[in-house]
Amino acid sequence: MPHALTPLESRWLAEVIRQHEAAGSPLEDGDLLPQVLQAPADAETRILRRAELIGAREGWLASITAWRGHARTTLLVLALIALISGFGAALGVMGTGDRPVNVLWLLGSLLGVHLFSLALWLVGMTAGGQGGGALLGRAWWWLSDHLGALGTGRKQDALIGGALLHLLAQHGLLRWVSGAISHLLWLIALLGALLGLLLALALQRYAFIIETTILPSEVFVALTAALGWLPAKLGFAIPDAGMVRASGEGLPQMEAARLAWSSWLVGCVVAYGLLPRLLLWAGCQLLWMRGRSRLRLDLNLPGYAALRARLLPASERIGVVDQAPSSLPRARIQAHAAHHGETNLLVGLELAADIIWPPAEAERLATWTVVDSREERQRLLEALQAHPPARLLVALDARLSPDRGTLRYLTELAGHADDTHVWLMDHEPRDAGRIGHWHEALQSIGLPPEAVIDDDPQHALHWLEQGP
Amino acid sequence: MSTPLHLAVVGHTNTGKTSLLRTLTRDTDFGEVSARPSTTRHVEGARLLVEDEPVVELYDTPGMEDAMGLLEAVESLVKPGERLDGPARIDRFLHSPLATERFEQEAKVLRQLLASDAALVVIDARDPVLAKYRDELTLLAACARPLLPVLNFAHSPASREAEWREALARLGLHAVVSFDTVAPEVDGERRLLEKLITLLDAHRLPLERLLKAREAEARERMAAGRRLIAELLVDVAACRMLVKHDEDEAIQRQVELLRERIRQREQACVAALLTLYRFRPGDVDMATIPLVEGRWEEDLFSPDALRGMGIRIGKGAVAGAITGVGIDLIVGGLTLGAATVAGAVAGGLWQVFGHYGERLVGKLRGFRSLTVDDAILRLLAVRQRWLLSALHRRGHAAIEPLRLEAPDVKRWRKGPLPDALKSARQHPEWSALNEGFKPEAAREKAIAELAEQLLDEPSTR
Repeated sequence: MPHALTPLESRWLAEVIRQHEAAGSPLEDGDLLPQVLQAPADAETRILRRAELIGAREGWLASITAWRGHARTTLLVLALIALISGFGAALGVMGTGDRPVNVLWLLGSLLGVHLFSLALWLVGMTAGGQGGGALLGRAWWWLSDHLGALGTGRKQDALIGGALLHLLAQHGLLRWVSGAISHLLWLIALLGALLGLLLALALQRYAFIIETTILPSEVFVALTAALGWLPAKLGFAIPDAGMVRASGEGLPQMEAARLAWSSWLVGCVVAYGLLPRLLLWAGCQLLWMRGRSRLRLDLNLPGYAALRARLLPASERIGVVDQAPSSLPRARIQAHAAHHGETNLLVGLELAADIIWPPAEAERLATWTVVDSREERQRLLEALQAHPPARLLVALDARLSPDRGTLRYLTELAGHADDTHVWLMDHEPRDAGRIGHWHEALQSIGLPPEAVIDDDPQHALHWLEQGP
Repeated sequence: MSTPLHLAVVGHTNTGKTSLLRTLTRDTDFGEVSARPSTTRHVEGARLLVEDEPVVELYDTPGMEDAMGLLEAVESLVKPGERLDGPARIDRFLHSPLATERFEQEAKVLRQLLASDAALVVIDARDPVLAKYRDELTLLAACARPLLPVLNFAHSPASREAEWREALARLGLHAVVSFDTVAPEVDGERRLLEKLITLLDAHRLPLERLLKAREAEARERMAAGRRLIAELLVDVAACRMLVKHDEDEAIQRQVELLRERIRQREQACVAALLTLYRFRPGDVDMATIPLVEGRWEEDLFSPDALRGMGIRIGKGAVAGAITGVGIDLIVGGLTLGAATVAGAVAGGLWQVFGHYGERLVGKLRGFRSLTVDDAILRLLAVRQRWLLSALHRRGHAAIEPLRLEAPDVKRWRKGPLPDALKSARQHPEWSALNEGFKPEAAREKAIAELAEQLLDEPSTR
């Protein structure tokens, strides 16, 4: 059973899923969505919740826990190795005490590699890198990641380490993580070395010497004092000038000198080995922890931006609040007795002011009119009632949409004429279907298809003057 | 939180009421939209949410179709000598049998309007200002609710916006907004909401919240879009393939393979941008954006595509046929600049070997490395940026074709490539197209930097 995720882990999981989806395999989340939408209305919270649910379903949650386990084991093993190698190295360089020990050589062997790697790390940091010099940190990472992938053998788990790397790198935390690991391992190694040193000093009798071919002994006096300055602050002894000279000349050593040299050596390892590593480790750890607590998903990452719209919807539907009627009211042209009208009339209905009316072809007609307002419509109906025409041609602007009001008025007009045709003046169709919609609408009021004339003034006017 | 603002969306049939709802709700499947008149015959609602909290309720209504007849009927319901104000007349109509028979649809609209705080009146600005539309507005105004006319298609060549504005002013409607319901201008929604705020001061706070949320959303989407493009550019710039020396056929095969990878990578970016802006590949029909079914019409490596964007192919191209792929004859990139040396030392020496080792080994073994030409990078940058800003305006780029002399376009066409791309060239492990891809922090930084440089949004008309 996976434990509750830490804030870092849940963001890590979200990143795994983001990378998986960004690689072109979106994950089905339809059934999880209702659960996600119950989380507080905040994009990050919901993205994390979704990740958690998907992660549990797809097994990534367990993979992350496993990866963590591997990382911990790796760290433990590395720490053990560091401790043993530090310890062994110290014992090795100290020897068995049958030969006098060169103090400076000894100090160099104990601290040299450490100082070199520290310098490398510092240069890496100041050059703005991501802690490229934290070799041990990298080694730990590499091992954890490869062990993790080996552990489960699932292909999709290959993303796990990379996702964490990406997440940390993106927030500039990688340097602190690998720095902290590196310094911690060095700290342990140096601790091992210190233990080895103390053990050797406790159980063996060593004579400490300084050897030189060309340097005057004053150099060593000064060097010893300078190196001993910091340890002295911590309470370690500094061999005095006489002791240093004596060690340089290979004279038999006094007990006091042995003690002073031992204290100086231990002090140097503590002050130049343990102390800086401890401080750096604490610093890195602090920065890492601070950064970790501030870690938020970067919602501008493409994958998240698209998710956001779904997890924090801009709207929700209310549904139909007022049902549609089973059918719309429809007017129909009423069958009527013949009026035996004698005139032919051209009527323009609902025509825009910029349409030339009457059209040039119709100018010779004696009877044409145009109506739009309610009053005009009423007057026309009254006129038709008084003098019903034999043929009535109604011109309409086909760019407009047919509506019930216009159709109803058409039925009223048609009721007063013996024969009615509609002329669809088509100036510039707005969409391909519109003429078709007019035809349908006109048929629905009972106008036969042949009574509807598409944009063809000759045909329309010929019908009006001559009949079919 | 107070109850949300109720807005009825009303208007003549077929003017784009449901489209307006779809656009405002970001719900592309809301209701039913068709060119056929009287498509919507019911009243359907949707809530606009800010952080899950309903701020506005919108109600889509059927079209008003028989306003003239209705106005006459309403007048006939007033007895001679009786004085009734607008809402009282409407109320009397709603309680008459007419409201369930001939004017059932109109009654739905008026009932909804009376139940709302205000209405958006959608008008097709291409239609002439006919008497029936005036009667419709008279009826709506009789409900005594604030009305905000929304001029749809106001940017169409056939628009009669000025006529409409004058007619609306004569009816006492002075606050008017032009808003294309299908392809709104980049600031269209802001203007619409601002107009609403001036009309409905009591609802200022929630509306301003909505406004802010929508603007933040647009900004975030744009940022994500730029990042997608930056990532594409880094992937392509860092892409590198090794091919055995002196085998022309093998080189040709590798070149084609590389091109295909780059094409697919670009296509992935187009698809991601469309998804980001919630376009479905078929949706994008922008006259001047040559996308067909969500794919660029012009192949990335065709000379026409480069010429179309005003990009001259560099000297790196093989003479005769533009391949868009640089082949390093002498092992290039081994001239380490001072900066790379410093960076390499900082990064640990083995890393240097990681960067250059492959190519060094390649040279020793007689391989050549294939990289994508600068010209292709420029083309990718220009056309993806263009697509992004077109999507940002939801199609309004269609009105304004790409201007090659626009400062940001010009910079990508002719100016030096950004440093982030130059460093990507040195880092094959930054490209998701290469084996051994590592999304390290420096790559993230380069992408962020590049996205920043894609920032300058071309002015909005």
